[in-house]
Amino acid sequence: MSDALSDGGSDHDDSQEDVMTPVELIAKLEEAWLNEKFSPDLLENKSEIVECVMEQLTHMEANLQRVSKGDTKASVHRMEIDRIRFVLSSYLRSRLQKIEKFFPHVLEKEKSRADGDPSYLSPEEYAFAREYLANTETYLKAVALRHMPPNLQSVNMMKAVPEPCLDSFVFLRVKERQDNIMVEPETDDQREYVVDLEEGSQHLMRYRTIAPLVSTGAVQLI
Amino acid sequence: MDPSEVEFLAEKEVVKIIPNFSLDKIYLIGGDLGPFNPGLPVDVPVWLALNLKQRQKCRILPPEWMDVDKLEDVREMERKEESFTPPPSPYYMELTKLLLNHASDNIPKADEIRTLVKDIWDTRIAKLRLSADSFISQQEAHAKLDNLTLMEINTTRSFLLDSLNCMFKLRSNMQPGSGTGKALDY
Repeated sequence: MSDALSDGGSDHDDSQEDVMTPVELIAKLEEAWLNEKFSPDLLENKSEIVECVMEQLTHMEANLQRVSKGDTKASVHRMEIDRIRFVLSSYLRSRLQKIEKFFPHVLEKEKSRADGDPSYLSPEEYAFAREYLANTETYLKAVALRHMPPNLQSVNMMKAVPEPCLDSFVFLRVKERQDNIMVEPETDDQREYVVDLEEGSQHLMRYRTIAPLVSTGAVQLI
Repeated sequence: MDPSEVEFLAEKEVVKIIPNFSLDKIYLIGGDLGPFNPGLPVDVPVWLALNLKQRQKCRILPPEWMDVDKLEDVREMERKEESFTPPPSPYYMELTKLLLNHASDNIPKADEIRTLVKDIWDTRIAKLRLSADSFISQQEAHAKLDNLTLMEINTTRSFLLDSLNCMFKLRSNMQPGSGTGKALDY
């Protein structure tokens, strides 16, 4: 019985990509979770991480099936699974919330991306966004638009739904030192200036200035 | 972010416990734990320590910084300095709360520690309010926030960020042309 549990962590390493241990995988998931939570815009999807974590969880749960209920070890494993599952679903949920909020813009961005570029949405999220758009349009038509005069019967979703506000302020922690980050002035009589972001330091600034650093992983939103 | 989520992150911190049971190494997804031997201190994450404590399977050793003398020094420093001093632990508030609520019998002078930590917190939050105020009145675009803990940032987050966004919208509407086309989220 204890063999079944001990296997859980170790024999799994082989099926992972060689570069990431489960420990790093969980750390990556937590990073992605916090970044997604605090960024005003939808970030690139991390379906690779999500899939790997799901695989780990399913594997561990399958192992736990074989263990009796009262086992101390098993209960510790279950608690850990619950914690990881919470982070995972909170991550996916905050992505869905953003898709619901900005769906026309998200779809537009997805349409206009170049062929080789990585997709912003996972296939499931893409289907969700498409369906959400179609349903909203049908709903608006059924409830209001069809009663309008013919020239007012269409609505431009791109204009009707707000865009993500990239000028929002965010809190961030620096993971890799960055020099000469331009800070735009708030008022006309101030001049723009540059700051150096030192490793480990924490800052409050506009998302727009540091958005590229979030996707490269050089800074962590907090 | 909900305060309970900050607490969730704090629960990942490692704390020493003295178990009263024996158990082999546990291979968790997030790292190995143990082995557990009665009477021998072992490092575990706080979430497990609290669970074992609730089941009366261990004694929690307070973290090094959770000590009346050390915290008194921190409090003096914090009151003397104008800027933020390094916090005793990046999750000092959450850990104090969690450990004192669930394991106060394992922590010597729990009440004094509670008061000290609250004093430190109050001083820091007062500083935070003051600096947020000057940040807004000087219309700064960048601030350095070293030594602030996540919980402290979180208490001011929604209020500060919403006001900044609101002010930004008002300002960009005042300058015709610059604000058009930016969809505003009312």
